[in-house]
Amino acid sequence: MKKNLKKFLLYGFIGFLLLQFYQPARNMDGTIHPIHITKVYSVPENIQNLLQTSCFDCHSNNTNYPWYSYIQPTRFILERDIKNGKEELNFSEWGNYSERKQQSKLDRIEKQIKSEEMPLPMYTLTHKKAILTSTQKNEIYDWINSHKKDE
Amino acid sequence: MKKAILSTAVLVTVLISCNSNKSEGESDKMVEATNEENHEHSHNQHVETSEKEPSVDTTTTIVKTQSDFSIDEIVRNYLKLKNSLTKDDSKGAAKAAKALYESFNKANQNSIEAKSKKEYLEIADDAKEHAEHINDNSGDIEHQREHFAILSKDVNDLIKLFGTKQKLYLDFCPMYDEGDGALWISETKEIKNPYYGQEMPTCGSIKKEYNK
Repeated sequence: MKKNLKKFLLYGFIGFLLLQFYQPARNMDGTIHPIHITKVYSVPENIQNLLQTSCFDCHSNNTNYPWYSYIQPTRFILERDIKNGKEELNFSEWGNYSERKQQSKLDRIEKQIKSEEMPLPMYTLTHKKAILTSTQKNEIYDWINSHKKDE
Repeated sequence: MKKAILSTAVLVTVLISCNSNKSEGESDKMVEATNEENHEHSHNQHVETSEKEPSVDTTTTIVKTQSDFSIDEIVRNYLKLKNSLTKDDSKGAAKAAKALYESFNKANQNSIEAKSKKEYLEIADDAKEHAEHINDNSGDIEHQREHFAILSKDVNDLIKLFGTKQKLYLDFCPMYDEGDGALWISETKEIKNPYYGQEMPTCGSIKKEYNK
């Protein structure tokens, strides 16, 4: 029995070490293209900071990776969230959305924040600064409304 | 011990192959992103080629499909979705949204006149995303309704653009979305609210009638 446990731990440890070799390309573009939301819309500095700390890690082409992202299997989870996040909304490529889609994304951003689905609870658990206070939320809503086109 | 080495070797191979697949996918995406200006164009081309293939067999089918763009099926599935929401049927809504998504894919967009085509593609692109989310959120009817509100705007714009073969009503619920209101399209004169369902079935009024 004791032997089995030892074996198990050893294999587990080897597996863990080997897993560390899997380090896929990082989501770090490094440049701000003309289609980035800050180039397409006027984004005041306070809003830019909020988006940066609460959204851009998963919704842009530039993630600010934490130290533990170098350790697997954490990396798997992070990359999965980033991939899903960018599929739904990518602020770095905002200018590629049609105007209709931009409007619809703005609406969704507001609703996702209101219903506290975003920023993800998993994310704010490790990124305390990403938690939006109600004042900050209102700043975002006001900014969104200034870019919404009412019919 | 041999076994251990073997199994870890397998693990590494799997991981490496996963990795290369993934990075391939990612680089594809990058290319797509950089070519985004041509995106709409290439998208059209892609659809053209994929839709032409099945109709190559006979000339008659080509003629038929080319003169055949209509939003009838889109509207039909939208109305199914709307009716599920009026009954608070989240599962039914998800199913109808899936059918709606597919009817956008099936629609023969090559026969759309050039001047409406761009607008159609933008509407379809947006509407499909909402249909997808409604399908993905079976069980969370409030989330489905949020997407339905934007989807309804899209469908309304489609009807404005292409007309309708049946009598339709543009209804408006002033209460939804914290008093901002939301519209929907209905085939019945009677108001049946899809945003509040059975909680407030008659909330809303007719804003406009679409005749064939």
